[in-house]
Amino acid sequence: MTTTDNAAASDSAPTALEQAVTTTDPVALARVWGFGGMTSILLGAVAGLLVGLERLDLASADVFGSADEVFQFWSAHRVAFVLLGVLPALMALATTVVPRQCGGSLVFPRAAAMACWTWLVGAGMTVAGFLVDGGLGTPGGGGQREATALTMMGLLLAIGGLLLASVCVMTTIVSGRAAGTGLRDLPYTAWTTLVGATVWTGMLGVLAANAVLAYVDLRGRPAVRFGAEDAIWEQLSWMFTHPAIYVLALPVLGIALDLVSSATRTEQANRDVLLVATAAFGFLSFGAFAQTFFDTPGTPVAEEAISVVAAFAIVPVALAIVGGLADTLRRGAGNLGSKPPAEAVCSVLAAVLVLAATAVGAVRVIAPLELLDTSVTGAHFALVLGAVVLGVGAGFHHWGEELVGPKGRRPGLFLLGGLAVAGGTVLVGVADLVSGLLDQADFTGVDLATAGNPDSGVDGLNLVSLVGSLALLGGLAIWMLTGSLHTAANRKGAA
Amino acid sequence: MASTVPAAPTRPRTLVVASAFGTGSVVMYFGCLFALYFSIRHDAMAWGAQWYPEGAIQLVPGGMNMSTMAMSAITMGWAVHAVLNDDRIHAMIAMALTAVLGIAMVNQTVFYFKDIGLPIDASEAATLLFTIVGSHMVMVAIGVLWLGLLLLRALGGQDTSRHRDLVSAAALYWYASVAVYSVIWIGIYIAK
Repeated sequence: MTTTDNAAASDSAPTALEQAVTTTDPVALARVWGFGGMTSILLGAVAGLLVGLERLDLASADVFGSADEVFQFWSAHRVAFVLLGVLPALMALATTVVPRQCGGSLVFPRAAAMACWTWLVGAGMTVAGFLVDGGLGTPGGGGQREATALTMMGLLLAIGGLLLASVCVMTTIVSGRAAGTGLRDLPYTAWTTLVGATVWTGMLGVLAANAVLAYVDLRGRPAVRFGAEDAIWEQLSWMFTHPAIYVLALPVLGIALDLVSSATRTEQANRDVLLVATAAFGFLSFGAFAQTFFDTPGTPVAEEAISVVAAFAIVPVALAIVGGLADTLRRGAGNLGSKPPAEAVCSVLAAVLVLAATAVGAVRVIAPLELLDTSVTGAHFALVLGAVVLGVGAGFHHWGEELVGPKGRRPGLFLLGGLAVAGGTVLVGVADLVSGLLDQADFTGVDLATAGNPDSGVDGLNLVSLVGSLALLGGLAIWMLTGSLHTAANRKGAA
Repeated sequence: MASTVPAAPTRPRTLVVASAFGTGSVVMYFGCLFALYFSIRHDAMAWGAQWYPEGAIQLVPGGMNMSTMAMSAITMGWAVHAVLNDDRIHAMIAMALTAVLGIAMVNQTVFYFKDIGLPIDASEAATLLFTIVGSHMVMVAIGVLWLGLLLLRALGGQDTSRHRDLVSAAALYWYASVAVYSVIWIGIYIAK
């Protein structure tokens, strides 16, 4: 071999960065989705904690400089959880576990890689936009317009990436599954991912339309209406409330059904009922119609029959799914042993939290109570998203060997983190629910009028909610540590 | 010795399925914009407000674009038919014609935008008009790029009846763009 040969060989060897960016390996990309998503959830939890701190004194701005800054963090908390956190984390499982469950491999791997990096760039731009005084508008118009435009552009890229990845996943399930496998034969995770992805693909298209309209109006000239600083969030807010957020919980219910079945080594009875119930849950989660910003004179859309009926109808549907889960647990209890798997425990807790969230969602729409703008909405969000985070974490732990490797799993540490996440979610949910019943506003701002001029008992509840946020953050930090140790153990093993 | 030639495995129409899902999302995008447009317009009319200034929206450009898109739907169908019949020459001619009609549509829209005399920030109606028509222009431009790719494949001899999915997938997307434009034509240009 000559010197020239050596030089040529070293020139052609891709660097680690080149390998990372050009890979089409779904497992490698799933790590980007998963790590990026869980980091966003952690950042969102930090934003939520800071807003909770500010809420301890409802009459003044102590942590932030103004109500607009509080709003930026308050909205960042929701965006980070939904579009930058939970959906990408679900995509990590959807692009790796689901194709295997279908007996095939992910179709369009290059498109999936493009989707992943597009989402990552968009997520980075969105976070940067929030940090440089942008975000999705502010009630007082105190943000930077250019930074708001950056946030919108980042959000559009993130939506684009999620849409493209969803198309790859849905096509894999519909067209790329093993011959002879019908849709009814699919495991629940794959089935609920198909239903959920179909619904959120439709909703993300609508969200993109809202964002484009606001962006077009925002850029370069005084806004006519849609791009006004105080109008942007309300146009997009339907994605972060009832019924749209339920769609995030759907794959988590599928994960719970699969994990419990695996832990108890017992097949779910009434499979067709569960398939129909999960499909109905997805159908009832379609929330693109509930755009409060475009309310016409008359009954607001959130109080229209379609919203109210959907809020109530989803409770028995969730009850049927959790009932199926309970039935499997009952029949397979003998196989669980004295130490049931940590991921099964977390997924069952997640399913129960989803059921509790649907009940809170139903209470929220009871017209005489007038709870739509109160912190009951925040409690509903916290319960649904807490459940989803718990379920996704359970999925990551269960399928961790496929995503990271066989060594270094720490079920005890994982369970501790999961219990902290569940406990934190319950504390935040219950405290905000009661505060809402006492008329505390969803977005409290920094003065008593915006906060809903609540009774004095709310201060104590806000403290409980803050403790819940701390527990949630602690649980997420434990999970990040567990994941890092798991990854490090396998890297060391590989080296 | 008699030999049995195994039947070619049926290819799952993966590209068409993916195109259907992607196109569905695009249709939802326009569905949202149309819903907002008609809802806000209905409110404005109910209050007796003027939606567009008198004479601001001309029927001719919209009609010309609709004719162009309708013709492109026919040529796209021709392309699909030609590929199914392994007629490479006709497939290339049909796809090239469809792409040219798409480019013509984009050109007409840009010309109209420059000529319209209605600033984008004139009113909510104008902002919605520019957003909807502009978005559709982008949709058509993406379709033209897709057709360009198909033409390159056809030149390489890859678009045959056994590998027709990419043409069918593009056709699905293109028909959706024609359908979306019909709503624009009727709902915005004609109904004003």
